[in-house]
Amino acid sequence: MMQLPKQALFLAGFTLLLLAGCGTQVERVDVKEVHDLSGAWNDTDSRLVSEEMIEDMVSRAWLTDYTGKYKKKPAVIVGTIRNLSHEHINVNTFVNDIQKAMINSGRITFVASSVERGEIRDERKDQDLNAREDTRKAMGQELGADFMLKGTINTIVDVDGDDQVRYYQVDLNLISLSDNTIVWLGQKKIKKLVSNAKIRP
Amino acid sequence: MSSGPYDRLYSLPAFLLAGCLLLLQGCASYSHSFEPIDAKLANNDPASALTLLDEQGYNDRNQLLYLLNKAMLLRMQGEYAASNQAFEAAKKIIQAYSAISVTEQSTSFVINDTTITYTGIPLDRVMLHTYEALNYLELGDLNNARVEALQVDVLLQRLTQDAPDSALSVDPFARYLAGMIYEELGEDSDAMIAYRKAYEAYKEHARLYATTVPDYLKLDLLRLSRRMGLHEEYRNFKKEFGASATHQADTSAHNGRVVLFFSNGLAPVKRESSHTIIDPGSGIAVRISLPYYKNRPVPVAKVRLRVNEIQSESEQVENVTGIARATLQAAMPGITTRATVRAVTKYQMARQAQRQDDLTGLLVNIMNVVTERADTRSWLTLPANIQMARISLPAGRYTLNIELLGQHGAVVDTRQLKDIRVEASKTRYISYHHTAH
Repeated sequence: MMQLPKQALFLAGFTLLLLAGCGTQVERVDVKEVHDLSGAWNDTDSRLVSEEMIEDMVSRAWLTDYTGKYKKKPAVIVGTIRNLSHEHINVNTFVNDIQKAMINSGRITFVASSVERGEIRDERKDQDLNAREDTRKAMGQELGADFMLKGTINTIVDVDGDDQVRYYQVDLNLISLSDNTIVWLGQKKIKKLVSNAKIRP
Repeated sequence: MSSGPYDRLYSLPAFLLAGCLLLLQGCASYSHSFEPIDAKLANNDPASALTLLDEQGYNDRNQLLYLLNKAMLLRMQGEYAASNQAFEAAKKIIQAYSAISVTEQSTSFVINDTTITYTGIPLDRVMLHTYEALNYLELGDLNNARVEALQVDVLLQRLTQDAPDSALSVDPFARYLAGMIYEELGEDSDAMIAYRKAYEAYKEHARLYATTVPDYLKLDLLRLSRRMGLHEEYRNFKKEFGASATHQADTSAHNGRVVLFFSNGLAPVKRESSHTIIDPGSGIAVRISLPYYKNRPVPVAKVRLRVNEIQSESEQVENVTGIARATLQAAMPGITTRATVRAVTKYQMARQAQRQDDLTGLLVNIMNVVTERADTRSWLTLPANIQMARISLPAGRYTLNIELLGQHGAVVDTRQLKDIRVEASKTRYISYHHTAH
């Protein structure tokens, strides 16, 4: 008779252990860890591309030429980055990654893009009406950008049954706003081989 | 324990039977379970239909159909962004479950084909991308519509690889819509390629079911080939098409356009046809159930789009019923073979059980017959056909009149869409679903 509670306890404990694995699992991972799940464009791609390309951009001759000629850091504004790929890529996170890399390089002055400045201009107009005289920020004092960064994300996909080769090409152009010359052209290629499972249990 | 008549009840086959009786819930015909939702759609009431769909729930094997139906019902209510979320979730299901499952396959030879997770016939997958693209067009998001056009191209490549001899591998409307998206974005060469492929696909499909090359496509081919300077191709098309300019020619270069995509009625529903034979020697019943398509009533033949004095009648750009029927017809040999193999397996099982004793044999026999149901799963909120109407208008705000015309041209119903803004050199896309009957 004493055996029964012990067996029951053992069974209950075992069941509890099993059930513990049945709930939702959440595991925190480091941002820099690479987790490729479905093969689609993910945060790793966005980060890699933006870091490498901006590193390339600030190390080229156009920057030293500009600082040598004008004795100040160039002002860059981000224009449209078009998604011409076959995936619904969130271009905004990519643009934010680029902006971060540019500012953190310390060699570029960064100007708010057309998307952001609407709100800033409204705030300035509001300050004109409501803020104290000595703290008001005057209109018409924005820093005009010297260069605009535009780009495209392209893909080529090759399908064979359950396997796919996905080739991404990200092109960024830095265009001078004074004379339309393209002073820098960056290109980054990523290739992925995605093999979908053919059999599952 | 001493042996007695009731010991049989605890033997393995009896437990199998009990298990299968539990599974019978999933063995009920899918298409019949959809009837209450169908009734709501017959009253043009997608909101109640969606509530019913959510109440009904779904089992894991039919999850894709739940998501596709939800996406379509949201779209019917004008919730295009939410509809796209459901479509994206559906894409993930297809990717996760496309691999062949060993357990599902082996179970399907003992029970029926509904044990296999539904991952969509080619028509379902193409329509998923098509409707997602139409959602994006309605939202004015041409770039994401273009992404869908590229995805459907990858899908059609894969389908052509899987079935190179079948004309059904290339969906003509998917190509045509992709061409329209490319042309709208100014990518003329891609648009021309897509239009050409659409033209070929319409001709190929005309051999399998009732469909024709839409006059709109002919006008697009002529216009684009001339604009791109492809003079020889332009002349060839002009000779081939003859005098088919039945639509209002684009008057001013700075006019905007309104394009109406009309999803007409509902796609055919699958029912099952069964035959039972009794083997005289052993008394074992063998049953075979096969699916067939039954059309749902479609009272509207076409629509007339009218703005003030300018009007345009719609044209069919996709005969979904035709494609569905042709697809099932092509799949019937495979379905019949599986059903036959299943019948043989079940017969063997019944024979074996009979050798044990009569009661077990009878129980297994009953289980075999009762679980033999045809797979009647299909995307039931797809339309019977898709039609397109185009009107060229100068920039401004308009009230659109949509007149639904019956079989003999009589006006069955009218709808008005107020305050539609048309911009110069841009196209405004409008969707309209009519499911009432």
